[in-house]
Amino acid sequence: MKTPKNFEAGIARLEELLAKIADEATPLAETVKLYAEAAELIEYCTGVLDSAKLQITEIDARLTAQKTAEGEQ
Amino acid sequence: MAEVITVSQLNRYVKMRLDADDALFDLALRGEIANFAQNAKSGHCYFSLRDAQCSVRAVMFKSDARRLEFRPENGMQVIVRCRVTLYERDGAFQIYVTDLFPDGIGSKQLAFEQLKARLGAEGLFAAAHKVPIPAQPACIGLVTSKTGAALQDILQITARRWPLVRLLLCPVHVQGIEAANEIAQAIDALDRSRQADVIIVARGGGSSEDLWVFNTETVARAAYRCKTPLISAIGHEIDFTILDFVADLRAPTPSAAAELAVPDMAEARHKISSLKQNIQYNMQNRLQLCYNKLEQYPAQRFSGAAQAGTARRVDQLDRLRRQLCGAAHAAQQASRARFAHAAALAGTLDPYHTLARGYTLVQDHTGQVLRTEQLAAGQKIRVVGARRTALCTVDATEENGHENP
Repeated sequence: MKTPKNFEAGIARLEELLAKIADEATPLAETVKLYAEAAELIEYCTGVLDSAKLQITEIDARLTAQKTAEGEQ
Repeated sequence: MAEVITVSQLNRYVKMRLDADDALFDLALRGEIANFAQNAKSGHCYFSLRDAQCSVRAVMFKSDARRLEFRPENGMQVIVRCRVTLYERDGAFQIYVTDLFPDGIGSKQLAFEQLKARLGAEGLFAAAHKVPIPAQPACIGLVTSKTGAALQDILQITARRWPLVRLLLCPVHVQGIEAANEIAQAIDALDRSRQADVIIVARGGGSSEDLWVFNTETVARAAYRCKTPLISAIGHEIDFTILDFVADLRAPTPSAAAELAVPDMAEARHKISSLKQNIQYNMQNRLQLCYNKLEQYPAQRFSGAAQAGTARRVDQLDRLRRQLCGAAHAAQQASRARFAHAAALAGTLDPYHTLARGYTLVQDHTGQVLRTEQLAAGQKIRVVGARRTALCTVDATEENGHENP
């Protein structure tokens, strides 16, 4: 499984996998592979929710304003 | 008949009489504004104040007019504080207004209504300009006081509902003269940083005076030019601020803003579990379908061909196995012969074989083998043969007369 970019991408990929697995045109061997990927993704997404911790950073409006002003000169 | 005087003298006299009258020096006057005009250059305001029957000319100098929070307009009922005097040049009696209040409605409220009407007409509240709030922001920009309850509320809600989000706080004062500029700068800074997917401008509850900064044009314009979706979360539900009208979304409280800005973790878990069930169901369904298809074919249709194929492959496998064994055996024999040869060669080079033929080794007391050129008179040496060792002392050494040692 390629680790998804973030939680949302993980969910989007799961939805994609569900559609492919549900599609009878997908060969059985492929379906089994997709199923394995789905199982890993479900674990990943649940893990992300379990381990998520709120992050907070600060920016200073005056500093960024100065920076931009200098950048524009 | 008294003496003849000039117009100037008359006007100066009347003005003096008026100025000397205490009743005319400081009075409050109720009336309706008419013919209002502000001189673009001087900034002074000129208008008339009238009631049903009469009117009086009024002047309000720039230094007084600039303190007004709202813009006087024709037809407005006001109470003014003024001084009555005479404009000597024209002989016109008029009032100098030092302060002006709306009659009935508060001046702040009036200023609010006027700004709202003006910005509304300019299109700052237009629905077409509003952008949708993203459903799952990765980063939320916060414009609020670092020490306020609003920040605590938002932290608490986001930590509970969606701790995956990153908060980018741009701390500001939400009160005081500099607050409007600080808030506008913070909105600009967060917008420019392009890190935030949504910006929340928040302030906990307070009196309407406390929330006044969010009714300023500075903040309204900053919110309007902000390209990042912006949620206003000011005060306690009831009062709308100008910012509320400009924002892409108005939340009644900071907590509500946090609820609106992030998804719910419980919903996300539910979503995962429903996807999981759905995928499992489809997989089982698919396998069942395949089994069913397989069972449609009678087993014996394949068995004959399969057996013939198997027998042929068994033969082939057996042949290959025999060949493999033969090749392995031959390779082993060859290795063994090479080893025996090497061992015999190694035997001939063993010095102890040489001792067995009657030669001896000369060693020092530690067992180190010595060459004859290392020997000196008086040295204790060991002469080692195949069976015995002699402990000797060197009497003297001499050259043998030929080259080889």
